[in-house]
Amino acid sequence: MKMATLMRSIGSDFTDEVIEELLLRSRGKVDNALQRIRRPQAAVGVVKSPLGNLLVAMSNRGIVLNHYLVDDRDLAATLEKVRSQLDLVEDPRTIKEVGVEIHRYLAGEEKALRQNIDLSLAASPFQEKVLRKLQEIPRGAVVSYQALGAAAGAPKGARAVGNAMHNNPVPIYVPCHRVILSDGGLGGYGGGAARKLQLLRSEGFALGDGDVRLPDSVVWGHRGTRIYCRTNCRAAARADRRRMLFFAGQKAARQAGLRSCKICRPD
Amino acid sequence: MGELLAIRKEMRELFTLQCLGGFNSRMAQHKLHVPLPFEEIMQRHEREIMRYLLRMSSDHEDAADLFQETWLRAYRAYPRLDSESGVRPWLYAIATNLCRNRARDSARRGRVVVSDTKKLPAADTIGRDHRLDHENEGYAAVHMRELISDLPTKQQHALQLRYFAGLDYAAIASALGCSEESARANVSQATRKLKARW
Repeated sequence: MKMATLMRSIGSDFTDEVIEELLLRSRGKVDNALQRIRRPQAAVGVVKSPLGNLLVAMSNRGIVLNHYLVDDRDLAATLEKVRSQLDLVEDPRTIKEVGVEIHRYLAGEEKALRQNIDLSLAASPFQEKVLRKLQEIPRGAVVSYQALGAAAGAPKGARAVGNAMHNNPVPIYVPCHRVILSDGGLGGYGGGAARKLQLLRSEGFALGDGDVRLPDSVVWGHRGTRIYCRTNCRAAARADRRRMLFFAGQKAARQAGLRSCKICRPD
Repeated sequence: MGELLAIRKEMRELFTLQCLGGFNSRMAQHKLHVPLPFEEIMQRHEREIMRYLLRMSSDHEDAADLFQETWLRAYRAYPRLDSESGVRPWLYAIATNLCRNRARDSARRGRVVVSDTKKLPAADTIGRDHRLDHENEGYAAVHMRELISDLPTKQQHALQLRYFAGLDYAAIASALGCSEESARANVSQATRKLKARW
């Protein structure tokens, strides 16, 4: 007999029935074992928004990723990074709503951002804590890195807060654009300063293109006393900066439940 | 006042549109390359992987164990796989490595693997399905198996992947982690040896 014929015949020596029977026995075991190490599933897609194209992922717990896309290389790198933590399924219909919400939010609709937020891509427990504290900052207010660190239990952790903002997996929904420098400077932004300006402007801050500081119309609010003041108030000058918020104006401060100062009388 | 608000709204919309143009004009249309769901990969390749493992281990229980381990490893490593076109050699690479590990561990523990002839219908199948000009067909198959198992491991794997899994040399090279020339050389040396000893 020729050797090649025999080699081919050895190649088919396991009949389909044998394979099927073994597969039937093994599939259940494989599924059970996979269940234990399975990554959460997420629908992913690119949405267009007034802030540019965004790579959005939605898990069953809510929006898990919202990434400003720079170019195709950025897209590939981000997908690769996210794939190690999520099983991605391309699904433009599920994520389309996010684009609509962002569009409406920038047009001035206060409660347009309705998706639940899933912070499972937060880089560390501390960063997750910072991002949760950040969610408490209302629309129309901004907080300093230092004050946010103090709120998250790290009064000297302004730089660590900066890292947490840099790694924020869900910008816009977790409002990292509402974090600025203690001296009123606007600071940087992952998506670029222009986007930060646009977002803050849509939230009521009177900012012009190219501005690098908050306008003079802002008022200071104190979280402890629930009082808001002019920025030159002598009482505010003595107050603990780590508990202060900057509000776009008196209206925003009053909406957040603060009353005006009786010394500087901002109203 | 109403007019003023309307003008403000219009200006805001205009600004939004401007921004949309500004941010998006810099970017090409993004094409999303989300890899296939792992379940689909499994469905497509489970049969051939099981066949390959059966041939490599010659034992049903071992093959079933290796099958489970192959898919677990593949699932863990799936995010690191670059392109979908490389899935097949990649799966064979995982399976081959596991077989190699298993063989090494068995040798270290001094375990003797006795293949169950009842579970190896080679002799029957050959006798039934092929018209062979050999006097004792069953013996021919068993003899060939022995000859293959005497080959160096790398040549064995290359031969199995070439003839039984039907991979091309580039895929074999990728599965065995060697160059294409080396894969070709391994297969050719293996066949030469088999022919000489046959």
